[in-house]
Amino acid sequence: MRRGMMAAVAAAILVSVLGLTACSSSSGGSSGNGKSLGQSADAIQKRGVLKAGVKIDVPKFGYKDPGTGKIDGFEVDLVRAVAKKILGDPNKIELTGVTAKTRAALLDNGELDLVAATFTITEDRKKSLNFTDSYFTDGIAIMVKKSSGLTGLKDLDKKKIGVAKSATTKARLQEKADPLGVKPEFLEFDSYPEIKAALDAGRVDAFSVDGAILYGYLDDSTQILPDRYSQEEYGIATAKPKTDLAKVVNDTLAEMKSSGELDQLKQKWGLK
Amino acid sequence: MNPLAWWRWQALFENRAIFLQGLGQTVLASALALGLALVLGAVFGVMAVSPWRLPRWLNRAYVEFTQNTPLVVQVLFLYLGLPYAGIMMPVLWVGVLGLGIYHGAYVAEVVRAGINSVHRGQLEAAYSQGFNYFGAMRHIILPQAARVVLPPLTNQALALIKNSAVLAMIAGGDLMYYTDSWSSDTLHYGPAYIVAGLLYLVLTLPLAWLTTNLEVRLGRGQRGVA
Amino acid sequence: MAGFTELLLQGMSIVLRAENLRFLLKGVGVTLELSLEVILISFLLGVALGILRYARVPVLATMAATYVEAMRNSPMLLLILAAHFALRLTAWNSGVAGMSLYTSAVLAEVVRGGLNSIDRGQWEAARAQGFRYVQILWHVVLPQALRRMIPPIVSQFITVVKDTAYVWLIGVDELTGRAKIIMGAHAEAVIALFFTIAVVYFIVNYVLSAMARSLERRYWARSF
Repeated sequence: MRRGMMAAVAAAILVSVLGLTACSSSSGGSSGNGKSLGQSADAIQKRGVLKAGVKIDVPKFGYKDPGTGKIDGFEVDLVRAVAKKILGDPNKIELTGVTAKTRAALLDNGELDLVAATFTITEDRKKSLNFTDSYFTDGIAIMVKKSSGLTGLKDLDKKKIGVAKSATTKARLQEKADPLGVKPEFLEFDSYPEIKAALDAGRVDAFSVDGAILYGYLDDSTQILPDRYSQEEYGIATAKPKTDLAKVVNDTLAEMKSSGELDQLKQKWGLK
Repeated sequence: MNPLAWWRWQALFENRAIFLQGLGQTVLASALALGLALVLGAVFGVMAVSPWRLPRWLNRAYVEFTQNTPLVVQVLFLYLGLPYAGIMMPVLWVGVLGLGIYHGAYVAEVVRAGINSVHRGQLEAAYSQGFNYFGAMRHIILPQAARVVLPPLTNQALALIKNSAVLAMIAGGDLMYYTDSWSSDTLHYGPAYIVAGLLYLVLTLPLAWLTTNLEVRLGRGQRGVA
Repeated sequence: MAGFTELLLQGMSIVLRAENLRFLLKGVGVTLELSLEVILISFLLGVALGILRYARVPVLATMAATYVEAMRNSPMLLLILAAHFALRLTAWNSGVAGMSLYTSAVLAEVVRGGLNSIDRGQWEAARAQGFRYVQILWHVVLPQALRRMIPPIVSQFITVVKDTAYVWLIGVDELTGRAKIIMGAHAEAVIALFFTIAVVYFIVNYVLSAMARSLERRYWARSF
């Protein structure tokens, strides 16, 4: 109890000190835009490049083209927008491929400035990282063939749903299916391409995983059903002490939201 | 969080029906595939020593292609590729056909070696006794070859059971599939893989023992690989 | 059947795109690298295990026998998955470990068989010359045995190359895995993709087995 209070006091002091530094530096700025965006942003300006972690295996969000070696996607564009805000140039970015395991550690040790990598905002994670407001709402979704006429979980009684091994998809869907009296058969595969191929070949009736991943496999003959069977909000994460940077990133996103740029980007990547 | 903690083993014991169901599928698929492999192997093995060129050529094409490409690729082709040609086999049949064709090629080589081990003079002798080619094969050559081929055949049966784990890659409901599925749901990896390993050994060790015994008794042959 | 051929040709136009070919070709490199690593480790382990059993070293020989029987009679897939999920090795390492556990057991038997095939009379002859056990094994018996083992080792190498197709399961992007990645984006090319990689595996393995056959002819002619 005592220790908890001490930690709270320490955190309060830390936050106020950081807040003060952020305020004070914003008044006496020295950036190209004429006004400083904070200490962390200054450091990035000094370095001349924004270091960001993105996914490299989720098409449309962050995907490394095997042919060209270039990383592109919706989240990469968000990183570019932040780079434009801080450095005045959307191309001054250095991208690193991250996974669910590495992304928090790379922020902690200062190797990355921010991470935009289908990172779900949770209360637990907020304790150790700063998150922006959500820029994309996602959740477990279902992909079916357009020709199948299937419209939702309720239609999937006795149908085959392809899911990935070691994912929570099966349990979540089962929870939602039980009250509907729907009993789908789950077939587990080793990787997403196999599930998509199984869907195309007619081996399964539906392909279910997080929507972000499904979007990467969307094509002319398939559709993603509108329902979500869990709710995940994606946010851009920064290291806990860099609250000033978190604010800059969040402001950038807020501006993009109100100007409609965010929606345009989603449109561009086929995420609407 | 001991990965081999007692309660994890208890959880596995409570879910034993899942593992037994998988084991059943493994045994069923293996038995059917073995039957197919023996038929294919006998037919193509005899073709290998045929006096005509076409069957010999067909044998080579079958054996070389099958033995030099991965079983995984063959089975995936049957599972994901054939539906495009309008052939949608149930997953069990995909497994049986894939394993049967693959091991049939090895059995064909065993049969060929067996026939070649019988002295060619015997074929001539049979001809002079009025047997035709098929009669000589059936009554003179194959019965003698059978003794030579027994140890490598039991060995093929063993290899086939091990390879039946390929079904896990196409959601085939075999022992490997349920081991994988159950352990990734519950995270009881340790007990799951140990038990699955032991169950496979229960199936394969008797065959390994039989192979060695036959080799000793028939006094020849080396255990091949597949 | 007409639709099938059409699909194959259509798919080939996707598979044969420069970027996809390059992508697959890198996978061939991964497959070969993994196979080489596995066969080298397995050979060294196999020689050690085979000698332990051949020489009937007390206790160690029994342990080697238990290892060999347990490993070569288990599905390789199980060993790979156990290495990854139960032992928590990285994807590449669990591929190497799982495949080597199995392959070393098979090669141990090859080595033991090779050693047993050398006439025991040579032992007596060498002993009469005053050589010690280890000297005879190392300088007289093993070199001859190794020569006879070349064909079965090469044929095991082919098996290893084929079995690398399993490791995509744990995320190693070898040839089959890369074909599946392309398949995720172009499901319509699935037939062409499997056809293409089957041909690639065939070429690699055919060259290997042709080598095995020519070695076999040379050495068997010499040793009998």
